[in-house]
Formats: sequence, structure tokens, C-alpha cells
Amino acid sequence: MKRYSDMEYLRLSKWNKFVYKLVSFLVSIPLGIGHFFVKIWKGIKEFGGKVAAECKDIWTTFVTGDWKTKLSFLVMGFGNLAHGQILRGVMFLLFEVVFIFYMVTTGGYWLSKLDNLGDKGPESVYNAVLDTNTTVFNDNSFKILLYGVLTIFFIIAFIYTWRANVKQNKLINQILKSGKKLKSGKDDLKSLVDDQFHKTLLALPMVGILVFTVMPIVFMVLVAFTNYDGSHNGYSNALFTWVGLKNFGTMFSWTANTSAGLQSYSATFGEILTWTLIWAFFATFTNYFLGMCVAMMINKKGIHLKKMWRTILVMTVAIPQFISLMYVSKMFAQNGLLNQMLMNHGWIKQPLPFWTDPTWARITVIIINIWVGIPYLMLITTGILMNIPADLYESAKIDGANAWQQYRKITLPYMLFITGPYLLTSFTGNMNNFNVIYLLTGGAPTNAAASGAAGSVGYTDLLITWLFKITTGGESLYYLASVVGIMVFVVVALISLVVYNVLPSIKNEEDFQ
Amino acid sequence: MKKILAIALALLMVLSLVACNNSNSDNQGDNNQGGGEQAADLAGTYDVTIWAPEAAVELTKKQVADFNSSNEYGITFNVTVEPVSEAEAAGNVVTDVSAAGDLFFFAQDQLSVIVKAGCLTKLGQGAAATVKELNAEGAVLAAQSGSDLYAYPLTADNGYFMYYDKSVIPEDHVDSLEDILADCETAGKLFSMETNTSAWYIAAWFFGTGCHSNWDFDEQGNAIALDDDFNSENGVIAAKGMLKLLNSPANLSNSGVDAFSNGAAVVVSGTWAYNDALAILGENLGATDLPSFTVDGKSYHLGSYNGCKLLGLKPQEDTKKAAALNQLALYLTNEKCQLERFNELAWGPSNTNAQADPAVQANPGLAALLAQSPYSVPQPNIPNAWWDIAKVIADDVKAAGNDDAAIKAALDKYIASAQGCVTAPAE
Amino acid sequence: MNNEKRHMGLKTLNRASNTVIYILLVIISVIWLLPFVFIVFQSFRVESTWQVGYVIPQQWGLQNYINLWNSDFKRWYLNTFIIALASAVLVTVIQLCMSYTLSRFRFKMRGPLMRFMLILGMFPGMLTMIILYRVLADLGLTQANAVPGLILVGVASSGMGYYVSKGFFDTIPKSLDEAARVDGATRFQVLYKIILPLAKPIVIYTILTAFMGPWGDFVFARYVAMGTSAGYNVAVGMYSWLTNDQINSWYTTFCAGGVIVALPVTILFMCLQKYYVEGVTGGAVKG
Repeated sequence: MKRYSDMEYLRLSKWNKFVYKLVSFLVSIPLGIGHFFVKIWKGIKEFGGKVAAECKDIWTTFVTGDWKTKLSFLVMGFGNLAHGQILRGVMFLLFEVVFIFYMVTTGGYWLSKLDNLGDKGPESVYNAVLDTNTTVFNDNSFKILLYGVLTIFFIIAFIYTWRANVKQNKLINQILKSGKKLKSGKDDLKSLVDDQFHKTLLALPMVGILVFTVMPIVFMVLVAFTNYDGSHNGYSNALFTWVGLKNFGTMFSWTANTSAGLQSYSATFGEILTWTLIWAFFATFTNYFLGMCVAMMINKKGIHLKKMWRTILVMTVAIPQFISLMYVSKMFAQNGLLNQMLMNHGWIKQPLPFWTDPTWARITVIIINIWVGIPYLMLITTGILMNIPADLYESAKIDGANAWQQYRKITLPYMLFITGPYLLTSFTGNMNNFNVIYLLTGGAPTNAAASGAAGSVGYTDLLITWLFKITTGGESLYYLASVVGIMVFVVVALISLVVYNVLPSIKNEEDFQ
Repeated sequence: MKKILAIALALLMVLSLVACNNSNSDNQGDNNQGGGEQAADLAGTYDVTIWAPEAAVELTKKQVADFNSSNEYGITFNVTVEPVSEAEAAGNVVTDVSAAGDLFFFAQDQLSVIVKAGCLTKLGQGAAATVKELNAEGAVLAAQSGSDLYAYPLTADNGYFMYYDKSVIPEDHVDSLEDILADCETAGKLFSMETNTSAWYIAAWFFGTGCHSNWDFDEQGNAIALDDDFNSENGVIAAKGMLKLLNSPANLSNSGVDAFSNGAAVVVSGTWAYNDALAILGENLGATDLPSFTVDGKSYHLGSYNGCKLLGLKPQEDTKKAAALNQLALYLTNEKCQLERFNELAWGPSNTNAQADPAVQANPGLAALLAQSPYSVPQPNIPNAWWDIAKVIADDVKAAGNDDAAIKAALDKYIASAQGCVTAPAE
Repeated sequence: MNNEKRHMGLKTLNRASNTVIYILLVIISVIWLLPFVFIVFQSFRVESTWQVGYVIPQQWGLQNYINLWNSDFKRWYLNTFIIALASAVLVTVIQLCMSYTLSRFRFKMRGPLMRFMLILGMFPGMLTMIILYRVLADLGLTQANAVPGLILVGVASSGMGYYVSKGFFDTIPKSLDEAARVDGATRFQVLYKIILPLAKPIVIYTILTAFMGPWGDFVFARYVAMGTSAGYNVAVGMYSWLTNDQINSWYTTFCAGGVIVALPVTILFMCLQKYYVEGVTGGAVKG
């Protein structure tokens, strides 16, 4: 395609401008993806280079170092201790002791079982005298995987710390050579509230994220490569084990279940993904534009009681969602308040199928989501609307622009520019909007063709609620849920990547400062 | 420089050490299986947790106390009774059996799922014989997977029949679906039965014309075969009967008796709804068996599923405790306890002696269930997925209209999907 | 004359459009408030406990509130309150540490760290619940001990939600820090003496959202309580009242519970509304 310079672009007709933008957007998608892979490749190469450099550095430190340095390769922190840096030395040593103790007592056990996630499942034992069956539980695949992952985390952390310990010796030698004084333990502590303050601040949050976010995600990804499900729960019936890429094959085969008369997983996935994207689109943009409308109405000059209108809407934000959503869900039910009222007044003979007809249900969730989302959007947009420089409007008025033109030419572009990143997060957030769907419909009405193979699937199910149902239904296909989870990640990542590369306002975060 | 990291890792480690210590102690159950233990050796105090539905919590506490004071083995239970609904119990047990109640109440449709997860203790031979002897045949069937008993029947009242408003439907009309629908339409009232939304009720139509749907399960709780003729000629007749209701303006797919206060003259529901229905309709409330429908001049009485509530024992590691809990489970499901539950909660007993009790026979809800029982089918084990697959039969049939071939095609589609629930024999 | 006419036309047009807006606003307010008005009315209905087709009770009474008092609701409420209070303190500390650092410091790992967390955030958290449940179960923090367990998980993973407050910190000029640093203040002093007072709106916003979150926490809380009523929070406990077999006897009690849950949270929210609005407009968009 032809690329226009800024001047040429400005001279284009409206229609051509639009076409140009659209085409350049579409072209940027494959480019963006390509760019992404190039980046990954570069990253890998860079990482490899770094590892090689590190190894070389460790080697030189060892060869050129004195006996204290050499000993501290084995006894961590020895170099620090020998040079009077007690605090650092003790920390290193303590870490090493704890690590070795852990590996000997439990870590080694988990690691050794990790290759096939346990050998011996539970056994049922019959006691003839008491006429009783009891169960002897043996290996527990789940725990082996969980603590195996944790142990690997420790080993990585240990290697990292060991490397730091080696670096310390190099550093000490350099500092001593240059004739400066080494930092004392007191200095170290002091720097924690000053130069190194960021480490103090980040320590606790990062530990939390590591244990309660990163570790579970790693675990979840690993589950996709096992046969962990309701019939192999790893504890009370049968152990689960590694199956390689088999689950991805099952997921993406068009014929996986069709022989048994069921819809294939890939078809189900496609159906749900389509609805998820439709939902996310409508949920994001209806809220966005209607929220903006409400905000503009309240902000309009000459409208009184601004604060009251705002308060009324904001109040609904305060009430916990599970109350409002569950209440509204029941209100729209077959025998709910709304249907009963309409029937009592004789306006309808049959209850309206809000939750029982697929199309009705889909439209109803989108409309109720507007009810949920507008107050929040109203707040956000109010702030930005008030920041639009007033003189823009003044000059537009002088040029004779009417209200609609002002909106199109000034308000909307300004809003879109500022809220671009917000729209993106809001879109991906809506894709994963578990609460609204689960509390309103629970996925209903049932999609029979898709159900059966992978738990109960409904017409309003998003990928995220489907995933939840897979793990809780009778079959509990955790491995499949894990594959779906990875797919959700891929979809969200792709969308973010594309939008990130197209939107101007996210690119440089420093612009905002 | 890396102190923070070190502290962090030390923390991590402490955390995991705690966790691992904990996990290692899991296996310290009493695995003593040495022979020579006599029944009397069960004497002792045991801590147990029971999961019972909210309504039954207090009664269960009382019954365990009765057991403590009356049993011949010197067993004392330190009991905690947690309110967990039958539906929730099954899910929780499967998710984490070690956290589950030792004994738990659950609905029979969950049996195969729990057996499959290995979360139920198979009954010993003696206990199995006792259960088989004392309980109605259908209830025993409900507690079986393969040929083994996995649970203790608590009730046999999980079936449905017809509640109706006597002021709208005259007594001599209650046997005919056509008459009832005509009455409803004239009075502008609704006929409320979950035909569009629940496979449990849809099956009633097919059983009415003599169709069957039987599942075979193996001992691991896998469905290994389905014998289902809903797509036969009789199935098409059943679907045509169903269409009479579906095409009527009086059709409401709902099983809550609150519908009576909102325009319904008939609600197909179960014994659990009796008191609520009575509160709304008072002396106008009628309860009887389901009606018959007529297709091509021939009359068919609507069938039904009749199911049970079961008491399950989770896998135990301690033999003595398992044996003691077995005694408690037998006690909680005996005639006396079932009658107590009938008196306080109106749960219909599965114990044959209790079923014959005059008070039970006189209960209007249970009487209606009894009247329906010649037409009812004991609910077998059914894979969970079936409920979703069969749920849409009504909508599909309605979409097919009155065309026999199209109805047959819709039913064929259902059979194909249902056959998908059959697991291939284990590799 | 002509000009004046045009002016008059604009004025009437303006008045007409304002009238339309007023009508719309009234309609919107009614739609937004009605469900809550319904809940309040139904919570005082005593003639029946299921859903009915009218709003104004035929018989008024406090029976539903008495039922509430006699159920385990008290315990659930206390649990939720403790969790909310603890998160309000701890989550705020964690999120402020995180966002302040990422907004103010430029260190080697900053970029990779933020990108890493962005990527982490794209994984659906739903699946990790089963794993977190097992971890908590091994630590003995489930069932009756669900409260500390929920606090631990809630607080530990809260660092991921730093975006809003970072957006706010980004709007505080960096020159303030630099001036103070030149005067010899340590980083800690800068935070404590200069930034925090300026960041009052975002601190209160974070406290408020952290306090409100646990009231709606439902799916994971149900996992962690695993059928033990003593470990339920209000959402888990009240959810069971609206299941198909319970709703006919508990519907109006649910409404009463809804009122009792919503009341304090709403009042608190109304009092601190100003800060919430500032937080949302100042931080949410830029994050």
C-alpha cells in the first residue's frame, strides 16, 4: 500500500482517510505479530549471550580470586564474613543452610517423583473381621507437581543467590583494590530506606506475587501437559501423569468427539470464543458511549442538581455486585418479579424468556451490563470531559459548529485519545468478566450440542465461565480447562499486542508525567 | 545487595516447610489391619463431621446423640454437623475429599460422579445385606454402581406428581391432560411443569409411552452402555403428547409452587413443596398422580422418575473408625430415624417398614407419590452430562412441529448425543 | 431584529433540550434505583417468602430480619467484616509500595518487571483457584480457618493491581521529589513527608476499594470455605439461599441480608465519594 506523508494525508477526502486508516491498521496486524516473534528471538539470543558472559565471569572470578573467594564458592557468604561484612555473610550462609536442609528433608523427595508424578495410587483394603473397606492413600500427584514446582523455584533462586554471592567477592576485591572502605551492615540497612528503597518497597509485594500468582500460573500451564481430570484426580482414584501435547491435539482436532455423536472441542471453543468477543465488544462500547452520554448530560451547562444525579448513579457502584446481580437475575427469571408483574397486569400471557431463549439471554446480559457499568464510566468520563480545553469549543462555536459537530470533531477524538488504554483493558476485562455472566445466568440457556463433551455449556457462557464449569462439573477436566486457559491468554495477548501497536497514546508512558 | 531476595526466599522456604511437614503427616492413619479385632473393639471416641442439608442439621445432631447413648459397641461420636446442601456436597467431596464430611447427604444423581472420583466407601458384605433387606428395591438400586453398594438410602421421595387448584380443575378432570389444559386455557391459568428446562421432567412423557433409558456403570463409576429408545415409535408418540402442552398457551416451564400465586392452576413438583403449596392454596390444594394424554385415540399415563437421597461414607484410613461410622450410617438410615425425618421434615422413607407406617400412608404428598408410583421408574445412575443433553428435547420437538419425520430426526439427534456420554471400556 | 430572533430561537431550543435531558435523567435515576428500592420493600414483606408479582408488601414486618439473626448470617457478616478490614489495611500498604516504586524509581528491572506483570495479568485467574485452594489447605487455612486464608491470598496477589494508583502517582510532579532530595532527604523521608500527604485521595480510594472488594468475593471464597458454614462470607452464605431448592423459603431473607450488607458499605462509600471520584478520574484512565 501507498504510505502518505502527513500533508498528503490531510488533503485526502473523509472517506479516503477512513480507508487509509483501516488499511494501515489491518496491515499492521501481521507486522505486529511478526515484530513480536522477532523480538522473542532477539530476546532468546540476548539471554543466551548473557548466560555465556556470566559463566565466563564466574570462571575468571574463580581463577583470579584468592582462597577466600574460592572457598565462598562452596560456603556462601564466606568472602563477606572474612572481610567483616557480617550481615551480608550471615544472610548468604543462612540461605544456603536452609536450602540444603530443605533439599535433603523434602525437596529431593518431590523432585525425584516429578518425572511421572507418583508411582502408586490408592488401594482399597477389605477387613474381613470388621467387614469394612478402608483406603490406603499413597502418592498424591497433585502435591508432587505442586511441591516439585516450588522446589524448582527454590533451585532457581538458589542459583541466582549463589551467583550474587560470587559477584560479591569480585566486588569486594575491586573495592579493596581501589582503596575504598567496604560497606558495613549498618550502611546496608541505611541504604534500604534510601538508595535501595525500591527493594524494600517491592520485597513483600513481589514475594506475594511470586507465591500466589506466578507459581499457580506455572502449575496451571503444566497441567495442560498432564491427564489431570476427575477420573485421574491424583489422590483418591488414580494418579495423573505427563501426556505431552496430547491435550492440545484433542482440543484442536475437528473430529475429536464427533464419532461419539458430540460436538468437537474445537467447534465448541470457536462458538464460545465468538460470543466472548461479541460480548466484550458490546459490553465495552455500549458502556463507553452511553456512559459518556450520561456524563455529558449531567455536565451540560444549565443542568441543575449535578451532584445529586451523580450521587444517585454512584450509589449503585457501592452495593456489592453479588447482591445487585443476583437480585436482578431473579427479577428477570421466569417466575421473577418482572414477568409476574407483567402477567398480573395482563400485558403478557406467557413469561418472557429472558434467561431461557439464547438470543433473549444474550441481549439481556448486555443490557444489564449497561446498568452495571454506566455509573463507573460516567465517573471516568466526567473527569476527562472537564479537562477538555474550553476554548476549543468556543472557537468551534464561532465557526458555527452545532453540538453534534462539536462532539464529533472535538469531544470524541479527545476522549478516544485519552481513554485508548482504558478501552483496551476494559475490553480484555470484559472478555474475562466472570461475575456478571456467572451471577446473572450461570451460562444458561444450555447449548445441548456442545454440552456433554466438556461439561455443561450455555449460550451466554464466556470462555472464562466455561473454563470454570469444566473444572467444577462432574467430569472435572482440569487438563482441558488448562488448555482453554492458555488459549484465553493467547487471545488476550494477541489483541493487546495489536492494539498496543496501533494506539498512539499507550506507547510512551513517560508522556503522561 | 541481595538481602531482600534472601529474606524473601527464607520466607518462602519456611512457608513450604510448614506445608510439607503438614503433608507428611497425612499418611499417619491407623493402618492396623491385624485380625482378631472383635466387634466390641469398636469402643472409643471418634471425631466426625457430617454434612447434612440445612433443614436436617438439628435432627441429625439429635440422632447421633441417640446413637451414642444407645449403641451396643460403646462407640461415642464427637460430632460436628455442617449445613451443606445435597447438591453442593457432591461437588465439594469430589474437589477435596480430605476436607469432606465423614458422612454426607447427597442426591442419587451424583452417585456415579462420586464413585468415579473414588470418594465413597464400598459397603461391607454384612452392611450391604442389611441395606438390601430393609429398603425398597428402587432405593437399593439407586445406591449401586455395578453390582456393589456404595451408599445408604435415606429417602425414596425424590419423585414428582401433580399439585392442582381445585377451584379451577374439577376433580373428574384430573385424569386427562387434555381436560386440564382446556380448563386452564378457559380460566386463563397456567400449567406449570418443567418440560422446557429439565430432563428430569421431560422423561415423564417418554416413560408414559413405555420408552426406557437405562445406563450401565462399571465399579469405577464409568457409564459403559446406554440402552435408550426415546427415538422409537413410542418416543414419537410421547413427543406428540408433549407438544400438546408445549403448544398450549397455558404452558409454563417451572417447578416452584410459588407459581400458584402467579396464575398457575397446576404445578408438577414433589413432596418437598407440599407445605408451601398448602400455604398458598389452603383447602383448594389438590395432590394426585400425573394425568394421561391421548394420541391417535390411545391414552397414555405420564410416567415419572422416582429417586432417592443417599448417605455416603467417605474413604477412611482408620479401620476402626470406618467400622464405627458404618454402624452410625446404618443407624441413621434405619426405620426409626427415617420416621423421625418424616415427622419433622416430611421426607418420605426408603425403609419398607417405615413406608408402611400409617402416618406415612396418610400424608397427602406421599399419597400422591404413591398413586404415581405404578407409573414411575426408579431413577438409575445417570451421567451428569445427560441432564444437559436431554434438557433440550422439548425445544427441539417444538421446533420440529407436528411432523413425524422431523420429530424422529430430533429424537435421533438426542440419542446420538446421549451415546456420546458412554465411556469406552478402560484401556 | 433578525439577530434577536435567532437568539430567542437558540434560547428556546436550549430550554427544550434541557427539558429533554431532565426527563432522561429522571428516567435513568429511576431505572438505576428501582431494583434497590424493590430489595428494601421485599425485605419487609412477611406474608410470603418467595418471589411475587408486586412490590409493596401486603403485610409489613421484621420477620425476615429476625430470620437473618437466627441464621448463621451473623458469623458470615463478621467474617466478611474482618476480611474487609484486614484487606483495607494490608492491600493498601502493598499496592502503594508497588505503585509508588514503579512510578518514582528508575531501576534496571523496572521495565521487565512491569511487562512481566502485564503478561501475568493476561492469564485467567480462575484456574489458579484450585491450586491456591490446595496451598491453603496444606497450610490449614481453609474451612473454619477460611478468614486468614482469604486475607492471605487477597493481600498476596494484590500487588498486581497497582495500575490505578501508579497512574495517580505519575501525576504528582517529580520535581517535588528532586527538590527534597537536594535538601538531603532520604527516599523514605520523601515518601513519608512529601508524597503521602499529596496522595491522600488515592490512599483513601485504595482503602475504599480494598474494603469493598471482599463483600463481593464469591467463587474463591466458596472454594476455601469448602462446605464449612463457619468459614463463609456473606456472598457465599447468601448465594445458597437463591438456589432452586432454597429460594422459595429464603428469597425475602436474602433481600433483608442484601439490605444489611449494602447499608454500611454504601454509607461509607457516600462519605468518601469525593476521593473515589478523584481516584477513578486521576488514576484509572492513565494506568
